[in-house]
Amino acid sequence: MELKKSRFDPPRSYIRGAPIILWLLFLVVIPLIFTFAMSFYSSEGLMIEKTFTLKNYRVFFTDPVYSRILFKSLRLALGVSLLSIAMAYPLAYMVSFKMVRGRNLLFMMCIIPLWVSYLVRIIAWRSILGNRGVINTILLAIGIIQEPLRIFLYNRFAIAVTLTYICIPFVFIPVYTSLEKIPRNILNAASDLGANEFSTFLNVVLPLSLPGLITGFIFSFIIALGDYIIPLQLGGTQGIMFGNLIWSQFGVAFNWPFGAALGFVLFIISVTILGLTAKFGSTEGGFLSE
Amino acid sequence: MSSVKGSRRLERRGVSLKLYGLLIFIYLYLPLMVVIIYSFSPTKTIVGMTGMTGKWYVELVHDKELLKAVLHSFEVGISAVILALIFGTAGAFFITKVRFPGKGVFRALVMLPFVLPGIIMGLTLLIFIKNLNISLSMLTILMGHVSFTTPLVMFQVSARLQRMGPNFQFAAQDLGATPFKTFWYVTLPMIRTALIGAALLAFTVSFDEIVISYFLTGTWTTLPVYLYGMLRFGLSPKVYAVSGLILIFSLSLILFMTKYIGRSAEEFKVKR
Amino acid sequence: MDDATAIELQSLTKRFDEVVAVDNFNVKIQKGEFFSLLGPSGCGKTTTLRVVAGLEGPSDGTVLLENQDVTGIPAYKRNVNTVFQDYALFPHMDVKKNIFFPLKMRKISANEAEPKIERVLRLVNMEGFEKRLPQQLSGGQRQRIALARSLVNEPAALLLDEPLGALDFKLRVAMQKVLKDIQRNVGITFVYVTHDQTEAMTMSDRIAVMKDGRVHQIASPDEIYNDPETAFVASFIGDMNFLSGTIESAGEKNAKAVVSGNTINTRKLKQGIRTGEETLLCIRVERVEVNPPDGKLDNIIACTLKRIVFRGTDYEATCQFDDSEIRAVVSATAWDHRLKEGDAIHIGFKTKDVIVFPKSEEKDVIKYSVEAV
Repeated sequence: MELKKSRFDPPRSYIRGAPIILWLLFLVVIPLIFTFAMSFYSSEGLMIEKTFTLKNYRVFFTDPVYSRILFKSLRLALGVSLLSIAMAYPLAYMVSFKMVRGRNLLFMMCIIPLWVSYLVRIIAWRSILGNRGVINTILLAIGIIQEPLRIFLYNRFAIAVTLTYICIPFVFIPVYTSLEKIPRNILNAASDLGANEFSTFLNVVLPLSLPGLITGFIFSFIIALGDYIIPLQLGGTQGIMFGNLIWSQFGVAFNWPFGAALGFVLFIISVTILGLTAKFGSTEGGFLSE
Repeated sequence: MSSVKGSRRLERRGVSLKLYGLLIFIYLYLPLMVVIIYSFSPTKTIVGMTGMTGKWYVELVHDKELLKAVLHSFEVGISAVILALIFGTAGAFFITKVRFPGKGVFRALVMLPFVLPGIIMGLTLLIFIKNLNISLSMLTILMGHVSFTTPLVMFQVSARLQRMGPNFQFAAQDLGATPFKTFWYVTLPMIRTALIGAALLAFTVSFDEIVISYFLTGTWTTLPVYLYGMLRFGLSPKVYAVSGLILIFSLSLILFMTKYIGRSAEEFKVKR
Repeated sequence: MDDATAIELQSLTKRFDEVVAVDNFNVKIQKGEFFSLLGPSGCGKTTTLRVVAGLEGPSDGTVLLENQDVTGIPAYKRNVNTVFQDYALFPHMDVKKNIFFPLKMRKISANEAEPKIERVLRLVNMEGFEKRLPQQLSGGQRQRIALARSLVNEPAALLLDEPLGALDFKLRVAMQKVLKDIQRNVGITFVYVTHDQTEAMTMSDRIAVMKDGRVHQIASPDEIYNDPETAFVASFIGDMNFLSGTIESAGEKNAKAVVSGNTINTRKLKQGIRTGEETLLCIRVERVEVNPPDGKLDNIIACTLKRIVFRGTDYEATCQFDDSEIRAVVSATAWDHRLKEGDAIHIGFKTKDVIVFPKSEEKDVIKYSVEAV
């Protein structure tokens, strides 16, 4: 209705952005710059040598130990994301298409685990998988085994199970949102034109829900890639992932410059992947809308 | 075409899907149930739960360190929410009312602390803090919390502002309200529920936050950090009791929030 | 000092980057006048209104309210109020608080405000609705409350931005009457923006017809209908035939033009049109008669009846001669029912009903003149 307005407001109105720009500067931009700078320092014992060096990056890219950890983490993140999708997508589909009454309640019930304490959920899994945990207790009680199995905890399996558990809501929400957006009369049209439910799903629902699916996948991937607490708590000796590799640089290993470099690598990877969401995923982060 | 056999097949598919859904639900909720059940276990270990007792919960009340940690979580949570409301709302107005180049990039930057793995935010802030020679304390944890709560507020509020449209402010000004009075009498009441919803959400996230907080904590700890410390001594029913309380508290917050948001979203259904 | 002028625009221009939204608008709107801005979407009428309201500032020119220069003064200090198309009633306030709002901004106390609020509610026939919320009202009711809210401060003028656009037809016609009655009773100046020419024609004292930022004509509905100044105005209002013709001769009182071999007597030519020039000839469809009696009309053309459309109250006959077409609209009672498509007929019209425009204006012509493009 209106003619094209001038595209930008005069710079003097930018003053209204002062608070958020300052916020951005001090909590995001400057810390990132400092981190980037630190990745070029080196650590001598307990001191940090502030001379420029590429040692950190060189070590990371050349020493196979580190790249192996990174790839292990990437593979794990991929696996976890796929598993999460395998669980969250059907769930979302069920709630969106198969439930008539109580749909809102069901939706809330899928979301609640998300908001109900990350740490508590980790504690829960530690207790389920441990020697004296739920699984072992049940198996012992039934008599299938004589001694508790150690295979459930302190390994990659435990990490995967717990990470998937954490990631499912993050996949559920964008997938559900995009499924809800599909107008129901399109499904009627498809069936009217001869498609059974599976064909409709394959040719109509799946493509239309793809943006949500991609968004969910990416969120899950990022979370799984960067997590350090789960590998630390549940991974045992097998559980060195990229996340707790970085963590140890700021803890026991005390090599902040190296940690900064690793952190920066993770940052670049994350930002790149997140950029993919912007391109291919759905536009609104579902869990941020009211 | 849709023979009896065919439609029965359709029915079955619906049923098998629901079965699968049910399994996943069990997967989602079982761990939480386990925690709550174990918190009532009378033995120090989990094996052989012989009955129920509330004694671990009672012990919590006497744990001074724990209570201090809870208090700290509230302090940080409330402070972070207040700051997030200020920065986030200012940012929301900036991004919806002012036209400037690179809005997409700007939004993405503000979103970063919320979407990036916590470890990145934790370490960047830690390095920043060390460079400024600030020691780890409530202030540093607060910085961390403000970083991820602000985007929450900003996006909730800006979404509401977008839905509102600019005409209410125009009408107010047209009827004689100065820009400030327009904000106070018209805009603010209309975004009130978005603010409250965002505040509750931000508080919930902050209360539970461990990843970034663990990086930025000194001796001053929040509840999750304290709980994490408790894990070092192994799992005990006391840990479960704390977990149980956290579960119940978070759950009530969520339920309260959805009821409140749901009700007022209806109230303000504006004709578009 | 012109005491009767409510609003004056002097050389008002508004640019958005390279686009000129309003181009050199000059007008004096009188006190108590119902003045309409009419034109298709994007013609600049809403922008003009917003500049008068103070919600936008002009790029050039001056705005005067009651002879005071208000160009630099922001909206909240100006004594004009706007009724928006979507009413913009504050959803978190009930009807009474909504209406109280402008009074409150003027620091009028609640006690003083009571009678004013009641009076204005009575004016729009909405007494008893004080406690209702906007969401609980129907479209027409919201419209009236929006009107009441804008009137309660007794502004110098009321600006209305397509206020009836959201209403369905019957309601819209009813509200037109209501608005006109209120305007006359209160005696307040109305500046009314619309793209609906019928609305503008029935309600206004004067209309400014706009296209692409330019004002084509400011005149009474009668003049706009019978003496359009440009081809655009001619085409935008009512239903007009457009023919291409070359000027054969031009005289003091009228002129002659040739259309597909037929010589047509036209009105006196406007300035700048010369003999030999190709031009646009316009004739209102209702001024074209089918098979008129001999000698009655001075322009007669022989043609074939190409199509007949029955429209309820009248018949529309499309008549073809050579490569030109003319449509005639004849009332149903006067229609000769023996006529069939394909018949050879004569059509006729008076000299004074043929208006000539330069060919260059053809691009501005709206083909189906009722609604905006």
